[in-house]
Amino acid sequence: MERKEEKREKVLVREPITFPQIASLEAISDLSVVGRPVSRTDARLKASGKLAFGGDYPQEGFLHGKILRSPYPHALIKSIRIDKARELPGVIAVLTAGDVPGRNGFGVVIPDQPVICGDKVRFVGDAVALVAAETEAIAQKALSLIEVDYDPLPGVFDPREALKPGASPIHEKGNLLASHKLVKGDVEKGFSEADVILERTYKVPFVEHGYLEPDMTMAIPHADGSVLIQGPMQAPFTLRRNVAAVLGMPINSVRARSVSMGGGFGGKEDSPIDIGCRAAVLAVHTKRPVCLSLEREEVTLQTAKRHPHIMEVKVGAKKDGRIVAFQGTIYNEKGAYASLGPLVNIHSAIMMPGPYEIPHCRVNAYLGYTNHPFGGAMRGFGAPQVCFAHESMMDELALELKMNPLEIRRINAFRLGSKTATGQILKESMGLREAIEACAAAFDWDRRYREAGYGDPERSRRRGVGMALGFYRTSIGTGFDGCGANVYVHEDGSVLLYTGITELGQGSFTVLPQICAEELGVEVEDIRLVAPDTDLVPESGPTVGSRSTTLMGNAILLAARQVKESLLETASEMLFIPVERLEAKKRRLYDRENPGRFVSFKDAAARCMGMGRRLIGQGWWAPPPLGVNSETLQGDPYFVYAYSAQMAEVIVDMQTGEVEVTEHVAAFDIGKAINPQAVEGQIEGGVAMGLGYALMEEVVLKDGYIQNLNFQDFLIPTVLDVPKVKPIILEMKTQYGPYGAKGMGEMPNIPAAPAIINAIAHACGGRVRTLPASPERVYWAMKERAERQRAK
Amino acid sequence: MKDLQLTFHLNGREVSVQIPPHLQLVDLIRDVLNLKGTKIGCREGECGVCTVLVNGVPVNSCIFPAMKAAGQSVTTIEGVSAGDGPLDPIQQAFIEEGAIQCGFCTPAMALTAKALLDENPDPDESQIRQSLSGVLCRCTGYSKIVRAVQKASLSRRSSG
Amino acid sequence: MECAFKDLHWGKEIAIRHYLQPRTAQETLDLLSEFDGRAAILAGGTDVIPLMRRGDLQAEALVDISRLPGMNSIEVDGDWVCLGGLVTQKQVCSSPVIRQKAALLAEAAAVMGSPQIRNVATVAGNLVSGQPAADAALSLLALNAGVTILSRSGTREVLLTDFFLGTGQTRLDFRREILTRIRFPALQKDQGGCYLRLSPRKALALPILAVAVVVTAQPEKRTIQEAAVALGPVAPVPFRALKAEAGLRGAPLSKESLEQAAQDAMDESHPRSSLLRGSEEYRKEMVKVLVRRGLSRALARAGLPLMEEA
Repeated sequence: MERKEEKREKVLVREPITFPQIASLEAISDLSVVGRPVSRTDARLKASGKLAFGGDYPQEGFLHGKILRSPYPHALIKSIRIDKARELPGVIAVLTAGDVPGRNGFGVVIPDQPVICGDKVRFVGDAVALVAAETEAIAQKALSLIEVDYDPLPGVFDPREALKPGASPIHEKGNLLASHKLVKGDVEKGFSEADVILERTYKVPFVEHGYLEPDMTMAIPHADGSVLIQGPMQAPFTLRRNVAAVLGMPINSVRARSVSMGGGFGGKEDSPIDIGCRAAVLAVHTKRPVCLSLEREEVTLQTAKRHPHIMEVKVGAKKDGRIVAFQGTIYNEKGAYASLGPLVNIHSAIMMPGPYEIPHCRVNAYLGYTNHPFGGAMRGFGAPQVCFAHESMMDELALELKMNPLEIRRINAFRLGSKTATGQILKESMGLREAIEACAAAFDWDRRYREAGYGDPERSRRRGVGMALGFYRTSIGTGFDGCGANVYVHEDGSVLLYTGITELGQGSFTVLPQICAEELGVEVEDIRLVAPDTDLVPESGPTVGSRSTTLMGNAILLAARQVKESLLETASEMLFIPVERLEAKKRRLYDRENPGRFVSFKDAAARCMGMGRRLIGQGWWAPPPLGVNSETLQGDPYFVYAYSAQMAEVIVDMQTGEVEVTEHVAAFDIGKAINPQAVEGQIEGGVAMGLGYALMEEVVLKDGYIQNLNFQDFLIPTVLDVPKVKPIILEMKTQYGPYGAKGMGEMPNIPAAPAIINAIAHACGGRVRTLPASPERVYWAMKERAERQRAK
Repeated sequence: MKDLQLTFHLNGREVSVQIPPHLQLVDLIRDVLNLKGTKIGCREGECGVCTVLVNGVPVNSCIFPAMKAAGQSVTTIEGVSAGDGPLDPIQQAFIEEGAIQCGFCTPAMALTAKALLDENPDPDESQIRQSLSGVLCRCTGYSKIVRAVQKASLSRRSSG
Repeated sequence: MECAFKDLHWGKEIAIRHYLQPRTAQETLDLLSEFDGRAAILAGGTDVIPLMRRGDLQAEALVDISRLPGMNSIEVDGDWVCLGGLVTQKQVCSSPVIRQKAALLAEAAAVMGSPQIRNVATVAGNLVSGQPAADAALSLLALNAGVTILSRSGTREVLLTDFFLGTGQTRLDFRREILTRIRFPALQKDQGGCYLRLSPRKALALPILAVAVVVTAQPEKRTIQEAAVALGPVAPVPFRALKAEAGLRGAPLSKESLEQAAQDAMDESHPRSSLLRGSEEYRKEMVKVLVRRGLSRALARAGLPLMEEA
């Protein structure tokens, strides 16, 4: 996978290197743990309120850290006076840029975000000083005593304006952080062959992850010079390497420990690095533990959001509905700092044409800095944005060709053997068509489509239906996508599982032990998962990109198999049966041909221990090496995809534009549901998030300042806004995943929004091309359509 | 600033503490009484994860001055069951129905459900949704939470 | 353009030095006098506490009046309905008396905030907040309600049409005075009310626009005798659409009368363009829609449904 800042030779890897199959795909029917809706291992603790989230940890003896933030979106820092703040009783430290011991910069991809700004600030909320005090109230007071002189600079607030010559440069190298180009075939040729050509522009705003648990971190310096950073975090290893660089320490002197999170959705990939680096600097300076926690408003001010996209789409199709050419231009708004932006940009470009066989494609994606809060990783990583564009366009095309939206998708959708927009041939685990048909059947698409129309005798509310397709990669496709797991078996049959994959609510702490239990032949409750702590667990990569189940699952399988070798060998000796005939299940190692002959897992383990046989298993798995051409993005960017088809029914109030979603069916091919109940939960929650994106979510900015810092005005769906979602799970197993499993954490929230927007258009004729489709936007869309019809 | 004397009932026991006048109920519960099951999400009464029951009725404890609890009866999730013994049917139902993902809204949802079922043992789905409308959840999409309350309603009624 | 310190740096606590819980009205007035403007009254606290945390309201002391006797019931006194100054939104939305005699008020109380808020927030507090789209305030304004204000100089009655001075400002000085009672005439036969709210989502949302309507019909003549139309936020304060009301007085019971009233209401409304809640143009259009709908439904409840409702 190419990164913008590395110029490589053309790397063309067409065929993935044959890779040993992880899971035997045939005999999976008699699984005893995987595929079961096992109750979450942490459910009891969460139900009783006993599970300690970061903010629940005791804070006695901790100093409280706070951040002084820039009131300008773009300004030079002329001077800063901290003496009054420093003299306030109870203040232990007031730090400025010069106090950062190592690299004054952090970032997941490019460390371009200052720990403490020294020369300039780039967004409202940028950190200008850090305070540590005995209490939070004192720290807050100290902030107000710091005097900063700013020299305001012109602010840049539009990603297209940012790229024009003469625009105020936000970073030294200018405002274009990255650009990526996808070229397949020849779009001009394609357009020349098209019977119909449509051009539209779609826009999506900044949105907040809206995790209910605000960010916080604890930085604890130790006498030996090492530093522990603990708290909610999706990426402990990324945090560790950033903190080490910021402190000017070797990586092995920093320890990062992830505490179970109250939601993450990608946001806690880099927000913990932000406050972690800052708390670490305070902790090392004061030689005392420091707790830095953000109020909800500060979470919104300071942390990453979903990247806004302005997407110009041009599509050419034949009369019969076959799409022959797709052209897209994406203006991807970066905001002030890089965060995950460069990787999102590539992903958006690759995903822009959608899950369709299109012979000629061209996409240009430009990532431009602005003086706004920045985009990071948010569930879908570019896919929700472009899916809104391509699925809206599919319906607009269908309307133009007078075709049923389902029909036009049936004509163009991927099938086994299809070639994607990057020229990748989809050779396995392809369930898109099955998902479409299953969804249509469960939703009763044909009937609902026909019966759309007024629903009330006053003729003020109209019903309509819409659909959308999506596909999404498993894992991030970067060079460093490997992960490791350790499995230790003890002489009483209990197991320790070491994995650096974190729990954000998605269920990894249950699903990963399920995989381990299945492979070892024990029960989930026999396994204790060791919290992701970089001192204890192997490098695992971040918990992002729908990679955990598949990649870490594979690593766990390999680790479990290694330990199982000893157990099988020992059991074979104890039973006088060749190893090949032995099966491990339900705490027994038994003769497949005569299950009555067995030894207990516990006894075999004890025997191994007594004989000095290895009871430690270690597994490492990285996806098959892939790559794309850096000039054309042609190649195989990711090794497997999940697929989804979703359908929604809405009722639109034709006079106010209010929208109610009354039905939503969401079908997925995810390879294998390790825990079907957890998968359903992801589907239902993801669809709700997509509903919010469609109808109500927007971070509203004015002159660079966020207008809706708290939940009062940044609206996410309540229980009254979300209908009962009907999830459908299909399993087209992949050879690359444990028991065939692909990732699916992000997939559900990707086609949900366009399905709803398409339903709105179907119901009232109004086409909303800028999210969210608030009642007002729907109202104007209806008005616009009425005017167009009058003009005809 | 002088500390004030506050006496109230918490999870069935009488509690007497000295607190500063500005303290909100959530901070009394979490920081003074060290019960961490009640969470803080927004501090402005918009997300509901700080919900506790005051005289059996759900309130946002983040904007409820602690002194208001004087002489009242407060129930937190620890009062439903702290998990040392058996769990309450509501908590059990949440677990069985898969209604818990990150768990941050769970105590608030469970307490709200308890208040509902104590008042109305057989609510319909619309009543359940109305009663839960003051607690935000970003993970579940609410479906399984609603089903958990329905299941809890059933198991409470059948156990008498 | 610079942002205020308090909008960038957020704390946990409110800054008060005293929390007082008087047991009588006299004790309350004495305390308020002692603090001479440095104290503020708190009833439910659901407005006051967030305002204080944001730094938008400063006070050295909070005077919690929730223990004052005789202020937390809903009573009927002949043709009048009386709400004590401590009656909560929850009491109102679940009260059979209110549902029977002023259903629109119960409707308004039922859609504001959330159950958690409604359990604690008082109707009086909703009035004192002086917000132009306060749900209970709009309903009470349409019901021609009046309030009783208690201060050191005694009590006085103020009609709601006179009560709101500006956004966040009313005739009641919450640093010195107590709102002890709200009173309005119960809806009679031939009267109907309706509360409609346009919201960006279905709970925990501030309204884009809200309308409260009370109509009095004259069934024998098939005319509208009288109408009260309150709406917000279309002005700095909860607003009565007097021009629309004038046009409705004696108007025939017809779609045209309602359309005209809706148009009049739209013409006399001046909503701001808000980045968060909607543009001026849209909100004005919605005035028309909601006023027409509100009148139509109120008439139906008064026993006089129009042939075609829209």
